[in-house]
Amino acid sequence: MADAQAAAPVAGAAAGVLGRTRLRSLLIVCGIALLVIAAGPYVLPTYMVNGLIRAFLYAAVALTVDILWGYTGILTFGQSAFFGIGAYAAGLIFTHAGFGPGYAALALVAGIGVAVIVAAVVGWLAFYHGASPLYGSVITLVLPIVVSQILYSGGNFTGSSSGLSGFESFDIPIEAWFWIAGCFLVVLTAFAWLFVRSDAGRILVAIRENEQRCEYVGINVSRVKILLLVVCAAIAAIAGYLFASVQMVVAPEYAGFVFGTELLIWVALGGRGTLIGPVIGTLVLDVSTSYLSGNLPFVWKLVIGFAFVVVIVALPQGLMPLIKAAVRRLFGRKNTETADFAPRLDAAVEQPYAGLEGAGGCALAVRDVRKQFGSLKVLEGIDFEARRSELLSLVGPNGAGKTTLMRCIADGNERSGGTVLLNDHDILELPPYACVAFGVGRKFQTANVFETLTVAEALRIARTRLAPPSLWTREEGLALPHASMQVIRATGLDKQLGTEARYLSHGMKQALELAMVLALEPSVLLLDEPTAGLTKPERTLIGGILTDLARDHQLCILLVEHDLDFVREISSRVIVLHQGRILLDGTVAQVVESELVRTIYSGGHAATGGAA
Amino acid sequence: MATLLDILTTAAILYSVAAGLLIVFGVMKIINFAHGGFLTVGGYSALLITKLGLNPWWSVPCAFAIGFVCGMLIERLVMKPLYSRPLDAILATWGLGIIIGQLITLGVGREVQFVQSPVSGTIDLLGGTYSGYRLLLVLVAVVIAIGIALLLNGTRLGLVTRAVIMNENLARGLGINSGLVRFITFSLGAGLASLAGALITPLSSVDPNMGVPWLINAFMLVMVSGVSLVSLAVACLVLGGAQVLVSSWGNPILGGLTIVVLAAVVLRLRPQGFSRG
Amino acid sequence: MSEAALDVRAIRSGYGEAPVLRDVSFDVRPGEIFALLGKNGMGKSTLLKSVMGFLPLHAGSVGVFGADITGLPPHKVARREIAYTPQEQALFQDLTVEDNLRLGMRDDTFFDAGVKRIGQFFPVLPTRLKQRAGTLSGGEQKMLLVARALMSRPKLMLIDEISEGLQPSVIDRLAGVLRAERDESKVSILIIEQNVKFALSVANRYAVLKLGEIVDRGDIGGADVERRITDQLSV
Repeated sequence: MADAQAAAPVAGAAAGVLGRTRLRSLLIVCGIALLVIAAGPYVLPTYMVNGLIRAFLYAAVALTVDILWGYTGILTFGQSAFFGIGAYAAGLIFTHAGFGPGYAALALVAGIGVAVIVAAVVGWLAFYHGASPLYGSVITLVLPIVVSQILYSGGNFTGSSSGLSGFESFDIPIEAWFWIAGCFLVVLTAFAWLFVRSDAGRILVAIRENEQRCEYVGINVSRVKILLLVVCAAIAAIAGYLFASVQMVVAPEYAGFVFGTELLIWVALGGRGTLIGPVIGTLVLDVSTSYLSGNLPFVWKLVIGFAFVVVIVALPQGLMPLIKAAVRRLFGRKNTETADFAPRLDAAVEQPYAGLEGAGGCALAVRDVRKQFGSLKVLEGIDFEARRSELLSLVGPNGAGKTTLMRCIADGNERSGGTVLLNDHDILELPPYACVAFGVGRKFQTANVFETLTVAEALRIARTRLAPPSLWTREEGLALPHASMQVIRATGLDKQLGTEARYLSHGMKQALELAMVLALEPSVLLLDEPTAGLTKPERTLIGGILTDLARDHQLCILLVEHDLDFVREISSRVIVLHQGRILLDGTVAQVVESELVRTIYSGGHAATGGAA
Repeated sequence: MATLLDILTTAAILYSVAAGLLIVFGVMKIINFAHGGFLTVGGYSALLITKLGLNPWWSVPCAFAIGFVCGMLIERLVMKPLYSRPLDAILATWGLGIIIGQLITLGVGREVQFVQSPVSGTIDLLGGTYSGYRLLLVLVAVVIAIGIALLLNGTRLGLVTRAVIMNENLARGLGINSGLVRFITFSLGAGLASLAGALITPLSSVDPNMGVPWLINAFMLVMVSGVSLVSLAVACLVLGGAQVLVSSWGNPILGGLTIVVLAAVVLRLRPQGFSRG
Repeated sequence: MSEAALDVRAIRSGYGEAPVLRDVSFDVRPGEIFALLGKNGMGKSTLLKSVMGFLPLHAGSVGVFGADITGLPPHKVARREIAYTPQEQALFQDLTVEDNLRLGMRDDTFFDAGVKRIGQFFPVLPTRLKQRAGTLSGGEQKMLLVARALMSRPKLMLIDEISEGLQPSVIDRLAGVLRAERDESKVSILIIEQNVKFALSVANRYAVLKLGEIVDRGDIGGADVERRITDQLSV
């Protein structure tokens, strides 16, 4: 711990150096890869050159599968469809219109264009707000089936099951194709590598780890996923276009579901979420397959099938981590992945919520809010207002509807009736990320963080809405608003900026989530049992921070809490919920003295309640 | 009239094929993509019976038994660690499907083969003639449906299984070994798939990849049915009916897409599909 | 020496890494009712889930009738003649009353005798066998819960907040049933409660759980017990 403390002031500078070394090593690796590719055609036999061209293009598609599945957690069977679209754009135009520079450019644009449109439609279908991951996968599975069936049913136009072949294409030697496909793959991998390690790229991992938390820090997850799918579709279409141009043959299988699953197999075996693993996996598996003859291809496919099942069951991260570990042991290098990036902490230029000052200071208004599941009424006629600087505690027995009420305030789709105003904005039926824009920040009951992201990364993701992240680089500084900084400093999280959240203690995770929510610069803070599972000193600390926030930062804090001692210490006002209704709304003293509340809490039956 | 019978028989076939997948999904909340592989196993079981010169009816119990044993092995060896990772379970079971397909290819060969039908000829019905075997399959689907319903609603095992479907933790707290229920369910699902594979082969042919197109349709039908056997029947009639109509008045290839596309659209508009909940 | 019906020793447990229980120890003697009291969020339900094997113990051990059951899966714990009645989602709402009762038994052999027996306690239930459990009133559902637990003639019952949200008359009825089971069938019972009056009316001994630790324990019968407990639980 002392080491980390001493290292903290220089961490920022070190990070900059580290970023530059990374870039240099990336350039060196790319340079070597390009040299190898340049030499390839001179040393390899022709059929190997041919096989590798195809494998390079497959690997480019596998790379997009890795970004979607390995990094973002979208299990996709559909990238083959975009590959097929790109390939058929070339095949159809070259066959029916002829070949020329103009047609070549047209085919490329058409391929990308159609792929982009299809991807946007598929994304709209698959990633709507609240869609289950399984549904998304179902849609990506439907896509290649539809595309390949359309190609089958196209008669002479698409060549049906035999596809199109023998069309004219670029008249360049096979070596040049090797270089083009190779460079395409290397450049693509380099950019992908930069992207996934950039601040924006971390959002993908955040979505994979915890989509809900992303929504509640104001990220429009559906839009991110759709954009990502569109870009990945365009890349796959380019690969398909190159494939058709060099092979001068297209067939429906290249757009089909089975090819889509093959891509998944290559990615899984190579190692999902590693970029380089899927690329190497594809190259090795595809090239080796083309060497086999007789019965061997079936045996080989059987072996791959076995390997795939074993990897999915026992080694979900694929073979790449094993190889990496072996290399490290060989060269005696330490694992530098986890704590490699601890940025400098800066004070952010705060952007306090604007609409409020003029509006009279009513931060939260809840009017006649109702919630029911079928005939079961969970909330009924909830009506209250809360102002800035108020620390309002919500208490009541289990099942009183406290957490449900929190949910109804932070997500417009939750309530069954009534109105919720955040800083005078009606939240209508808006999703959580839109409610965040009205100034609400919600902390969940159980610590809800991104397990495999570091503390600094998680905080930066919480800043996404206010400080849009870079697509290619990492900021050296982490700018945070004062309140968030205060929580981090008070809890000692500033010494653990490079630690992944899963290694934090429970109390630290709670503190991290609170800091993330405060990084949103909310004016209405919803806290669901922030002290559950914390020790007494930790509770006191959190309590002190909360009263500070209400007093010094004029936050309106709504707190759900079971520990009534804690409530008594920090609240300025208490609302008692019982069986979905507000039983009492008053000062701490009023609630403490209330006979009614005492009865409820000792398990008696309240006069107002109606359950039998 | 023939169209109506087509719809009915198509729905019956789809129901037989999807029932096993639905049961596994209902109890385990995972999609078994090896279902296609089990269908293929059933098809080859029927082929084996034909080759041995036995009465084709033998293929029914035989296919069920072989599928059931395959399911037992796979549940113990592969499925157990995957219950908490439903998306990975899809991939692993797809891998199992590949393994099954390749083992059959290596053992029997890739060529398309034909199976003897237990019932041949046509039946005069409502002023027309219709394939007797297809009509028989309607009866078989009804028997399967009644059989599953009796098993679920009339036996202790069925009661325990329903309890696990509804609330697994509560069931465990009452002394129910949910692991065993999963084991039996998965094996039963595999057995039913294999049985369905044996039933559909006389209509077409067998080859090592015969299960894949069926798998996709069955998967989509299960997705829109939730976990209810009744809504599965409804989904088979509606979507299977649409398939027949599109195939006969439109294009057979587009007809093949009908179930998949309609199911996706239904799910987008109504995430709970054809189930009530 | 008679072994404890339930022997909880120094257990630590919680969800994930979050500790909810810290070094909780107590025992339930054969043929007694033991009440564990505490407000919401103090770890009472967590304790039962840990005993049943739904949550892994970070430390400590659990024994029943002299046998160590630490680390056993829930269904194996339940098969040691233990009836567990959780607080939430404790019934199969879509199954009939009859099916719910059947699931309380290991097999159907003594089902009719069992129904007859619970009919003596809750006459309404045998008349509602074909009704879906979810359509029963709140009080009837709680009766069904206790009835289901009694169907298997357990040696140990673990009951989580059975009195919650019930009318006093129903609570009195349930208290009578529990006392009768203890006195006539020598069943050991652990009740988890917030309702002090109910707990006092049935239990022999008690303990108070606060923030995952036992802060008070003793025999019920002393003059000031109710005041002491209420003080511990009050705001």
